[in-house]
Amino acid sequence: MKDTLSRRTFVQAMAVGAAAVAAAGALSGCMEPKKADVGKPSTEADAQASAPSDGKVPGTTATHVDLTGADVYNTMCHGCIAACPVRAYVKDGVVVKLEGHPEAPLSAGSLCLKGMNQLHTLYSPRRVLYPMRRTGAKGADNAAFERISWEEAIDECAERIADIMEQHGTYSFFSSAGGGGSYVGAMLPPLLSGMFMAPTGFEPGAAQCWMPRNATAAFMYGGADQSTADSSVLETFKGLSKADKEAGIKNDMNCLVIWGTQPSASQTSQAGRGLAEVRALGCKTIVVDPNFSPDAAHATIHLPVRPGSDAALILAWYRMIFEEELYDKEFTKYFTNLPCLINPDTKLPWLATEVFDDYEPVTPEDTPVYVCVNEMTGEVEPLPFGDPAELSAALDPQVFATATVNGKESKSAGQIYKDEAEPWTLQRAEEFCWVPAERIREAVELYTAPAKEGKCAGITHGVATDQMEIASQAPLGLLGLDMIMGYVNKPGAALTQSTMGGPMGPQLDGTNQWGKCAADGTQPRPTKGYLAQLQYGYTVGATEAANQERVAQSDPSALAVYGKLWTDRLGLSNHRGLSAWGHSHIPAVREAIETGEPYRPRIWVELSGNKLAMLASSGAWYKAAMENVDYVVGQQPIFTSFHIELADIFFPTEEWLEHPHSRTGQLNYTFANPGIVHLGESVNPMHPWMLLADAVSAKLNERLDSVVFTGTGQTISELGLTFPLFKLGDRGNSDTTCWKMELTGVGAQLGLGEDATIDDYMAKLRNNSDAYYVSTPSEDYWTYGQHLVKATDGLPLGFATESRKCEVYCTTMLKLGRTGWPYCYPTAFEEPVDSRIGTFGGDYSPICRVPLQTEAPEVKGADGYTLPFDKDFPLAITSGRVPYFHHGTMRHAPYARELFPVPFIRINPETAAKYGISDGDWVEVSSRRTQGSDYDVSKRGTERSYAGEKTQTTKVSDPIRTIAYVSEVVAPNVVWMERFWNPECFDKSQKTKTGGWQECSVNVLTNGIDAQFNEVFGSYNYRAFAVNIKKSERPDRVWVTPKEFEPFMPTSENQVHDEIGVLMGNKDLVTDYYQFATADAPAQG
Amino acid sequence: MKRAMVMDLDRCTGCQSCIVACKFENNSGLGNYRCDIVDVGPYGTHPDIQMYWLPFQCQQCENAPCIEVCPTGASYRDPDNGVVLIGDQECIGCMTCLAACPFSDNAGAARPSARWFNEERNVVEKCTLCNHLTAKSDGVENPADSLDEAHAVPPCVHNCPTKCRHFGDLDDAASEASQMLAQAKAEGRPTYTLASDEAQATFVYILSESTAPWNGMGEWRSLVAKG
Repeated sequence: MKDTLSRRTFVQAMAVGAAAVAAAGALSGCMEPKKADVGKPSTEADAQASAPSDGKVPGTTATHVDLTGADVYNTMCHGCIAACPVRAYVKDGVVVKLEGHPEAPLSAGSLCLKGMNQLHTLYSPRRVLYPMRRTGAKGADNAAFERISWEEAIDECAERIADIMEQHGTYSFFSSAGGGGSYVGAMLPPLLSGMFMAPTGFEPGAAQCWMPRNATAAFMYGGADQSTADSSVLETFKGLSKADKEAGIKNDMNCLVIWGTQPSASQTSQAGRGLAEVRALGCKTIVVDPNFSPDAAHATIHLPVRPGSDAALILAWYRMIFEEELYDKEFTKYFTNLPCLINPDTKLPWLATEVFDDYEPVTPEDTPVYVCVNEMTGEVEPLPFGDPAELSAALDPQVFATATVNGKESKSAGQIYKDEAEPWTLQRAEEFCWVPAERIREAVELYTAPAKEGKCAGITHGVATDQMEIASQAPLGLLGLDMIMGYVNKPGAALTQSTMGGPMGPQLDGTNQWGKCAADGTQPRPTKGYLAQLQYGYTVGATEAANQERVAQSDPSALAVYGKLWTDRLGLSNHRGLSAWGHSHIPAVREAIETGEPYRPRIWVELSGNKLAMLASSGAWYKAAMENVDYVVGQQPIFTSFHIELADIFFPTEEWLEHPHSRTGQLNYTFANPGIVHLGESVNPMHPWMLLADAVSAKLNERLDSVVFTGTGQTISELGLTFPLFKLGDRGNSDTTCWKMELTGVGAQLGLGEDATIDDYMAKLRNNSDAYYVSTPSEDYWTYGQHLVKATDGLPLGFATESRKCEVYCTTMLKLGRTGWPYCYPTAFEEPVDSRIGTFGGDYSPICRVPLQTEAPEVKGADGYTLPFDKDFPLAITSGRVPYFHHGTMRHAPYARELFPVPFIRINPETAAKYGISDGDWVEVSSRRTQGSDYDVSKRGTERSYAGEKTQTTKVSDPIRTIAYVSEVVAPNVVWMERFWNPECFDKSQKTKTGGWQECSVNVLTNGIDAQFNEVFGSYNYRAFAVNIKKSERPDRVWVTPKEFEPFMPTSENQVHDEIGVLMGNKDLVTDYYQFATADAPAQG
Repeated sequence: MKRAMVMDLDRCTGCQSCIVACKFENNSGLGNYRCDIVDVGPYGTHPDIQMYWLPFQCQQCENAPCIEVCPTGASYRDPDNGVVLIGDQECIGCMTCLAACPFSDNAGAARPSARWFNEERNVVEKCTLCNHLTAKSDGVENPADSLDEAHAVPPCVHNCPTKCRHFGDLDDAASEASQMLAQAKAEGRPTYTLASDEAQATFVYILSESTAPWNGMGEWRSLVAKG
């Protein structure tokens, strides 16, 4: 059996000997150093061990955790997405200690504070362990809930959902998810909604995180993206594990550019550890970050780019690399599309068959022949794909060229890029990006130096640019840089086809999952399928006939409905890159909720943490949801602001020590990953939506004559369909099945068969130090040169793009903006994207450009690149991770909060002085969201932002407050703070309660309303917008000093408050959520 | 015997995981700290700045003044391994040792402080090098069993995300701490101890000039927010 234990038992087990809870009272103010100052070299003097003078050893009361008789389980942390292997010590059924697993190839025994603090979140007094139904009005102040059974919860929920859908049509349903180690991920909302024939689903962990980089990498070369956090760039960590060392494999990372990411703060014991190791091995690092992050502090060169100006800095790199001919000429000529001459009308490469009447392609139908200027002849000639050694005898493609083709002056793609970069001299970049020109030069020299010796550098590109206007421009630029340098599929490169790269990963037939190629001549040309459910979508690299044949497998009626969902998805008419993960545009969803146009989503199934703290412009979201959403379903291990304010029904889910997780492994090691304990009636986070999918479908199927598919106005009967629209594999709904689904991988590792029970798993895992293994031998795991292997057609494999080359000039961006291809197939958008949105002459830009920044500080030379400077908001604000939390998690972890009680705002001393702010002062932070915007609200936001037209909107929130951290870590006029929410604001001890999302949360200020959303992905402004600051006072309710967090500790007292009352559901059913503290505690488990 | 830690500041990123590891291991409760991280710097003017993070706790002084001044004999050295400890049954919370310690706040109540006054228990607490785990350890961890008393290391060392912390007997050349120190010397990286007058701190800090110039504990700022 899984051990089912209460928090009380946890407290008893933890506290051996004297209770060790104490504090030295409130601490404040600075303390002068006493005697310690600048030190001296260490002495070699011997220790003088001395026993106590009277020879008696003083007595000590043990306060440490007692592990006598404890069992040890190997599992994996899910405090973030890194998943570090962990040992959990379990005593009397209680997890009493966590530590890193020493055999972990990357984290190597370490475990960061997020992982360790799971002991407190697991046994938190804030856990809600039973399904809950709201009994009073929405809102935090007088929130009241009652316990209900799972059966009742699911049935009631399904009934309400079916009723509303029957009344308002299928598009009234919407779902969302969110990041966080053990929670439901980004891929689910479009699936859950799609099953109910509703198009709306989202999570910020898409357009705002990873998807732009991930999708752009797929478009440009069909390979893994540049994200380290998402386990795409792993080459950095080669040679660190025991298996690698035993295989004699060494690290090859010469130089790593760390752009807009801070692994040491976000994945501290995994990527942070790896970076510490490779820096010690001599790898040079260049960190591009407005903040002096831990990785910046340890960097060879730090480029503190002005928030939001990264695209200009990237173009300055291109300019210098082109100008000084630092790029890899052979790779650029033969394996990128930069030499292709571009048709100025279509902006697509000329095909040889369009230019030369009698041209017979020398390559198969799936591999087009383009044209270029041949440097040997000076003529426009066919540019076939092929082995450079064979082609170069007669063809030297000119990268930078202009020629007349079919009577039209046509530039090469390389020339177009060069022209775009031309204005961005190092001097101009210094003015625009606030980075010294000389320092940019040093960085480019460091990055390009390995190429001169035939070696590699690489760029790892983080989340920062996904959260600004430049969400597509930055990955276009940074992927392209590695490509023109030839830093592809080589030791020491970030760009490889050797990792899966997540859901959009490369598909190389005939390789193992790590891209190890089969022998020459046995693999077909690589393809990349952009496929959703029901065979919808296009496989790039396959012929049109092959694609038609594939989609013909699906029921045409279902496929038509599914295609309609795709093109009706909110915001996709503008931002078609959201198709990458099938998501709606988040600001467009909020507007549709507000206005009912083009349809109103009114049933919200929310599967993550705290949407009121994590969505941009949270005040607008709060208002929209309060006023216009009819029914809200939430799930989480605790009540967050979202649940206490909005949820009508709540499903309790497990923390990561309670459930098995399918995301196992670090590099080529796989670890068993069981649930170890279990509390209350909490369930795997994947469980409730499965139950709902079936229960809602069943109820809808009783009303097929009256439920209308909003997309066409027809009833489901008329369409000849039933719910769900599609099925997701062989899933089941019982607890055991859910366990099994997640345990499939674990079971295989342990040698357990299909019929194994949970007891079998636990028995196998208890005190088993071998419950992990190396799944792929190191020599098969680190693989290179995939594009050079000979394919079945005799050509090199190349890449999974139309051209079979690295598309530095990304043609897919152009086609995506015109029809939605390659996602929208066989249906398509009838109109191209609004010409005000596409910045490349009405199209999505295929190259890195500097887009318009909505809100910026006063910048020299910014005309045309920023909207007019607003002196009411003169400071640029940006954000980044801190090691204490992952996304919105763990604000109820007391050992995290005592160290980081509020989201300190980093302010440069010069700026602080100007505003009369000292270190440690409370500061009010405001933005246009707290004052009112000057954009035209008569137009819907997704349009008005592009026009930049001005009128005044009402404010959506009050300003926030936090504490100043005055330091040189940021530039003057730049401030920095991380997301936050304050669960203490609805603690029972508070006289008046709020949801805790208004007090300190930067997302009150962020711009998800009228920003210049990224053209392709619709990404809004979590970062790089404008604020003002002034000295202020501590807000009500917010806790700051360590002892204030005592109610978050799993103490006996808290246990009492938790085990009784409505939260635990064993008292009268209708009870005020806040009035459960005084009753007697019942016996539990 | 000279049990101590060797800290590689070229690795530390100030994540504070050591603080939390310590608090869980020793059930410290809120507001009590035996182990801390001091931000030293940044020095210079943006963008020309440098800083390091200093993992900080009782420095296991060779001539520990806390032992000399303790009126009840509560402060003592483990007779077997020389670790400086406090017997809380003898400690009367008089705070004399706090004043004598070169690295402590006189009230043991403001971070960072090597010794901390636990108000509820009315005793002074500090880092014990987790002697309850490590008393007989050689400082070379057994990957298969971190509770192996012949090899255990403190959890702040075991869990340190960047492998900044190295524990062991500096008089034993085979210990992890000695090995790290020897490696740093071979690499030509400078080593430092915190200045402590006659007390003679034993913890060794490794810090390259390229990371930042050594400045001890710096001009430390309050590590706790204003309320």
